[in-house]
Amino acid sequence: MHPQLPLPRTTRRGFLQLAAASASFGALAGLRALPAVAAEPAALGTFFDARQTGILAQIAERMIDTGDPAMPRLRDTGAIAAIDRTCRALDPALTGLLPVALLLFEWGPIVLDWRIRRFTQLSDAEKDAYLAGWMNSRFEVRRMAFFALRNLSFLGYYSQDATWPGIGYAGPLLAAPGAFS
Amino acid sequence: MIVKLLERSGDLEVRADVCVIGSGAGGAVAAAELAAGGRSVVLLEQGHHWTKQDFTQREDQMLPRLFEEAGMRQTVDGAYTVLQGRNVGGSTVHNLCYAFRAPDPILRVWREEHGLPDLTPEALAPSYERVEKTLKVKQILEAEVNGLNRMIRTGAEKLGYSGFVTKHNREGCIGAGYCILGCSYDAKQSMLVTYVPRADAAGAQIFANARAERIEAEGGRVRRVLGRVVDHDGSARGTIEVKAPVVVLSAGAVASPDLLLRSGLANSSGQVGRNLHLHPSVMLAGYLDEPIHAYRGIPQSYYIDEFIDLEKDPHRGYVLMPITGFPILTSANIPGFGRDHFRRMRDFSKMVGLLALLHDRSRGQVVSGDSPAKPKITYRMEEEDRRQLSASLVHIAKVLFAGGASRVVAPYWKDPLELRPGDDLSVLERRGVREGEIALASTHPQSTCKMGGDPATSVVNGFGETHDVRGLFVADMSVFPTSLGAPPQITTAALADRTAHHILSRG
Repeated sequence: MHPQLPLPRTTRRGFLQLAAASASFGALAGLRALPAVAAEPAALGTFFDARQTGILAQIAERMIDTGDPAMPRLRDTGAIAAIDRTCRALDPALTGLLPVALLLFEWGPIVLDWRIRRFTQLSDAEKDAYLAGWMNSRFEVRRMAFFALRNLSFLGYYSQDATWPGIGYAGPLLAAPGAFS
Repeated sequence: MIVKLLERSGDLEVRADVCVIGSGAGGAVAAAELAAGGRSVVLLEQGHHWTKQDFTQREDQMLPRLFEEAGMRQTVDGAYTVLQGRNVGGSTVHNLCYAFRAPDPILRVWREEHGLPDLTPEALAPSYERVEKTLKVKQILEAEVNGLNRMIRTGAEKLGYSGFVTKHNREGCIGAGYCILGCSYDAKQSMLVTYVPRADAAGAQIFANARAERIEAEGGRVRRVLGRVVDHDGSARGTIEVKAPVVVLSAGAVASPDLLLRSGLANSSGQVGRNLHLHPSVMLAGYLDEPIHAYRGIPQSYYIDEFIDLEKDPHRGYVLMPITGFPILTSANIPGFGRDHFRRMRDFSKMVGLLALLHDRSRGQVVSGDSPAKPKITYRMEEEDRRQLSASLVHIAKVLFAGGASRVVAPYWKDPLELRPGDDLSVLERRGVREGEIALASTHPQSTCKMGGDPATSVVNGFGETHDVRGLFVADMSVFPTSLGAPPQITTAALADRTAHHILSRG
C-alpha cells in the first residue's frame, strides 16, 4: 500500500450516480440474490468472463502485493482459477453480484471520482489508493464490496501451495487431496 | 443407506411417522432415537454427504463444502460472520469439540423466568448421559494439549485467572489440527460418524441434497414437508414431498425460523426469528518470536472462565478461548491489503489467537430473504454487552503477553493497534468493540424459536413442540430461551434426545 497518497474522495453525488447506474448494487451488502442474467456463468464453464477475469486479476494483484520477491506473483499461480472455481461452486444467490462489483471497481474511478482512467489503467500506487478508498469508505456498500473481493483474492492466493513456505505454513498432513483410498 | 439425491433422478415422495429436517447436533440425535424407538423416519439434509475421503485439509475445497455460504455468511450489515454447517452432520463436522453441559444457573433461569419447571439437571441427566456416551465425551489429556493452548494456559496461570482443560468428543485423535475442515481420520465424534450411522442402522431413510422449503399443517396438526433436491451450488432439480404426522425441525437457529416464517406456521406469539443470541466473539492475535505452528494439535483444549460467574449473575460474562486458523481464514481476519497485510501474514507460523465469547443479552433477528440460501440476519450489541466485550480485549492482551507474545495486534479494519509488552492496554478498552470496526464472529447462533411455558411469549414448549401446531417440534439451538453461556453442542443434542423420547412416549 501507499498510504502517503491522498485517498480518493467519494462525493455523495458521485455515489448517487453509482446507485443510479446499478439499482441492485445495494444488495451486494449481503451478497444477496440478483437477476439471474447477471449470474449466468460465462462461456467455457467459467464464472467470470474474460473481461471480468482481467479486472479481477488486477484487483487481486494489488490485494496480495507482498513486496517480497520470495513470494510467488499472483500471475504465476492458479489463484484466479481457484477464485473462479469457488464462485462457480456457490449458490448464485450468494455470488451473483460479483461480476457487477468488478465492473463498478473498473469504472468507479470515472463514475465516482471523476478521473479520466478506469481502474485497470491506473498505476499501482493509484490502484492502491483507490482500493483504500473503498476499504475506508463511509458507504457500507462500498466497504462490503471491497471486502468481498479482498477475501476472494486471499482465498485464491493462499490456496496455492507455493505461497505456504513464505508464511511458514507446513501444509496439509495428507499427501494429496483425496489421498485416502 | 444415505441417499445422495443428486445421484438419482426424479422427484421424491415418501411417507413416514416422522420427518426430521436437518442432520446436525439436534436432527441426527432425534432421527436416531426415533428410529431406534421403532418409528419410520425420513431425515432431510440440504447439504451434501461428505465423508473423511472428501476432507482434504485444504481450505479452498472444504469451506464451500462444509459451510453455509462458504463460510462467508454474515449479518445484513456485514459486521458479524456467522459460521454454520451445511452438510450431513451439520456444524458438528467442523466444530472444535468443546463438550459442556448446560450450566446449572442457566437451567435455573430457564425454569424460573421462562416457565420451564421440568428442566432440572436431574431431569436432563439421562439425555446428557446417552449423548455423552454416544459421542465418547472424555477429558482431554495433558499430553494432548498443544503449544497454543499451553501458551494460553501459561499466560492465564501467571495472571491468576481461573481456567481448565476441558472435555471433548474425540476418539483416537492424532492431533492433525484440521478439525474445522472436517476430520480426515474420523477421530472427531461428530454426528456424521455417530448418530447419523445409528439412525441409518435403525432404518431411517436419510436423504442428502434435500432442502425443505415449506411445512404444511391442517386443522392444527402438521401434515407434510415440501422441498427440492438441490445441487452443490443451490440450483434446484427435483421436488420432495414427505407426508408425516410428526415433523422435527432441526435446521439451526437461522434456517429453522426461516422455514417456519416461509410456511406461516407456529408464529402466533410473533417470536419466530426473534431473540437471536450470537455468542459474539472478538479476537486478538499474538505473535511469538519463534514459530509455534498453532494450527497443529487439538485447537481448543483450555478454557478461561475467570470473567463469567453465572451463580452470581446468570445474564452476563464472557469466556476466553484459544483460536487458530489456516492461511485463508487467517488472512481474512487480518486488516488491510497488499504489503501492509502481508507484513502480518508473513509471521503466520508465529501467530496465536485468543478470543472472547460473550454470554450475550442482546437480541437480533432472522427474517426470510429472497432465497432460502440467504436469510437475513440482523444483530446489534446492547451497550452493556459492548462494554463487556470491550473490556475483554484488555484481558485477552494480558494473557497473550503473559504467555510470551512479543506483540499483540487488535485487528481493527482501520488503523489496527499493535501493542508491545509494557504498553498501556487501556487503549483497547477505550477503542472498544464496535460493529464494522473490528472482525466479529458467531459460531453459536441460538434462541430464535425459543422454548417457554407461555404461548404468548415463546414458540415451543418444554419438549420442543410448537405451541401452535401439534406434531411440529423444533430440536436445535433455536429453542434455547436465553444465551447458553457455554459451548452448545452437547446441550443441543441432549434436548433433542429429550424431545425424541417425549415423542416416543406419546405412542
